[in-house]
Amino acid sequence: MKIVVCAKLAPDASDIEVRSDGSISLDRAEWRIGSFDLQAIEAAVRLRDAHGGSVTALSAGPQRINHSKLRKDLLSRGPDELVLVAEDVLNGADTAVTAQVLAAAVRKIGAVDLVLTGEGSADLYFQQVGLQLGELLEVPAFNAVSKIEVKDSGVRIERSLEEETEVLELPLPAVLAVTTDIHTPRLPNMKEILLAAKKPVYEWSLADLELENAPEPRVEAVSLRAPRPVERKRILIEGSPEEAAQSLAGYLVKEGVV
Amino acid sequence: MDFRWTEEQELLIQSLEELLQREAPETLMAELDARHEFPFKPWQALADNGILALGIPEEYGGVPADITTLTLVCETLGKYALPLGIIYSLGIITIRDIIQFGSEEIKAKVLGGFVRGDLPVALGITEPQAGSDAAAMKATAQIDGDDVIFNGQKMYCTLAKIAKYILLMTRDAQGTNPYASISMWLLPTDTPGLRFNILNKVGWWTVPTYEVFIENARVPRKNLVGQFNSGWPQLMANFEIERLALCAASVGAAEAALEDSLSYANRRVQFGNPIGSYQAVQHILTDMAIKNENMRNYIYKVAWMMDQGQSVRHEHAMCKLYVARAACEVTDSAVQIMGGLGYMMDHRVQRLWRDIRLMRIGGGTDEIMYNIAGPQLLKHARKS
Ligand SMILES: Cc1cc2nc3c(=O)[nH]c(=O)nc-3n(C[C@H](O)[C@H](O)[C@H](O)COP(=O)(O)OP(=O)(O)OC[C@H]3O[C@@H](n4cnc5c(N)ncnc54)[C@H](O)[C@@H]3O)c2cc1C
Ligand SMILES: Cc1cc2nc3c(=O)[nH]c(=O)nc-3n(C[C@H](O)[C@H](O)[C@H](O)COP(=O)(O)OP(=O)(O)OC[C@H]3O[C@@H](n4cnc5c(N)ncnc54)[C@H](O)[C@@H]3O)c2cc1C
Repeated sequence: MKIVVCAKLAPDASDIEVRSDGSISLDRAEWRIGSFDLQAIEAAVRLRDAHGGSVTALSAGPQRINHSKLRKDLLSRGPDELVLVAEDVLNGADTAVTAQVLAAAVRKIGAVDLVLTGEGSADLYFQQVGLQLGELLEVPAFNAVSKIEVKDSGVRIERSLEEETEVLELPLPAVLAVTTDIHTPRLPNMKEILLAAKKPVYEWSLADLELENAPEPRVEAVSLRAPRPVERKRILIEGSPEEAAQSLAGYLVKEGVV
Repeated sequence: MDFRWTEEQELLIQSLEELLQREAPETLMAELDARHEFPFKPWQALADNGILALGIPEEYGGVPADITTLTLVCETLGKYALPLGIIYSLGIITIRDIIQFGSEEIKAKVLGGFVRGDLPVALGITEPQAGSDAAAMKATAQIDGDDVIFNGQKMYCTLAKIAKYILLMTRDAQGTNPYASISMWLLPTDTPGLRFNILNKVGWWTVPTYEVFIENARVPRKNLVGQFNSGWPQLMANFEIERLALCAASVGAAEAALEDSLSYANRRVQFGNPIGSYQAVQHILTDMAIKNENMRNYIYKVAWMMDQGQSVRHEHAMCKLYVARAACEVTDSAVQIMGGLGYMMDHRVQRLWRDIRLMRIGGGTDEIMYNIAGPQLLKHARKS
């Protein structure tokens, strides 16, 4: 089975600095593999280990994702090779642009049976790239996938929905966005880290992807601001349930919440 | 001069930090300490994730790693779970002695087992009358056909009962020069004739230390490690890296102590302000940070020198002396910053403080480090 796993490389959320005017600085943030994508990588590597085939990691983003430590980090987690589409025009790309670029890259990789993505990206978390990718590739696409089994020539998947678990059988190829609890991602050991430096990395430009139309963003980011911290009210409501409900409602109205 | 780690080292340490947060969280380490229980599960997790394989030859399941990388590993273990750093450091000397001097048969069983999660081989040097003066040991090895029979008493033998083997040092009573009369043996701990008495310690509660009584313990003669009567130089060959590893674990503990202190100083309000706003407290914190920085630089420098194949004869002793004392001071300051809470068993700084105090005694006392470094310094001065 030929598997492609998409992983976004993004600034580490714990390194975000909020400036005094509420704007956000990522200047000092270390870039990492999206935490939700680690589960997709783990799922891909386990499927390959159980059924043979190969895992290609795929990532699109600005130039700085083409960094040797990030490459090793990705490859030390099990994929056999890495495809990077690293151009600065992809900085802050919206889900539509990302999905178009990834779709073109998956086509160029060719003969792919299964594409896995994380639940959402670690920074923007729109949870849309996987589904849009399936649409563009014209193959079945599902999110919330918590289990994948290879069955006959297709896969049997479980989707964790709010109240129930849905079980589906699909033909391949398909695109699946996995949940965070599908597997605990492995921690790379030194052997895998050393091996990672020897695995092939393909750097493709947007021109290499031969896109019919230049990818068009659908979203325009107007501004990005950290919410202003609000002092807690520290109001203690006492009394019988009826009285308490009454006074709670009173406070909510007074604060303009309801 | 380049202070950066390699990308491989950064990735390895990131992975190890995550592993320790998963498998050896502070709550677990505190619990094990209170129950005086060895951290078997976290130790196995280190094996399962390839940490114990580092620096072991590849034919026994190991992965190449230089001394700088092992130092970073020890420091990280010390920071997140000090007992693991201690156990790993104790293992470094015996495991390296076996890599360097063990027979093929000994290497295959001991190194393969260690990589898979066996406890390190315990080290049996110290005896009741032979502490700093280790060569004054008296335990005997009497050859009997294809066997050897041991008699004697070992003191402060850490891990002895729960490890599979002790690397036992014995003294040939006939030899006039003690340094040319000591031999090194692999003694399985299930050998009949061994009796263990656990010792009650101030710290290291999860890492047990024993008195070992050896009475006619018989093992095959091929359990000799290296050459007969060459045990002393063999032992000395890896003392330097053991001391460096103990230092690295201590630095990690000091970093943990500083982190706890900084976060407490920001939180704890007295006289209407966080205690960190008072200069007296800032001075303590800054002194702690300077010591940590110095300790870290010192261990990295010694590790780097060893990786370059340079002699660290006096540097390693000076480093051990400085780090052991500075780490004691930093953990003591952490207790001070936390006030009454620092003295309570509920918080980890008391544990770091108790565990680190041993570093000025074990692996060679402060005074012995002076004795190693002083004459070397004078000798170098005479040469130049
Ligand atoms: C918790 C713990 C774990 C240990 N684990 C092991 C182990 O696994 N294996 C093992 O073999 N040993 C182990 N040891 C023993 C350790 O190495 C010795 O305790 C240490 O070397 C000191 O020896 P001693 O305790 O006999 O003290 P002594 O040598 O009696 O020293 C007492 C004091 O005299 C000072 N002193 C001695 N000689 C001189 C001198 N010439 N000049 C100046 N001052 C001097 C010392 O510095 C010290 O302050 C362990 C000890 C402890 C406490
Ligand atoms: C075993 C034990 C027994 C005790 N018994 C009793 C008892 O019987 N009765 C009783 O009432 N209390 C008792 N205490 C409480 C003891 O008096 C307090 O722990 C002590 O006064 C310190 O207060 P604290 O622990 O709240 O630390 P904090 O006051 O929070 O101090 C934390 C750190 O900040 C420093 N600090 C605080 N303010 C300043 C400042 N303005 N400038 C510079 N540095 C500052 C402190 O020196 C300390 O290093 C006991 C405590 C212990 C540990």
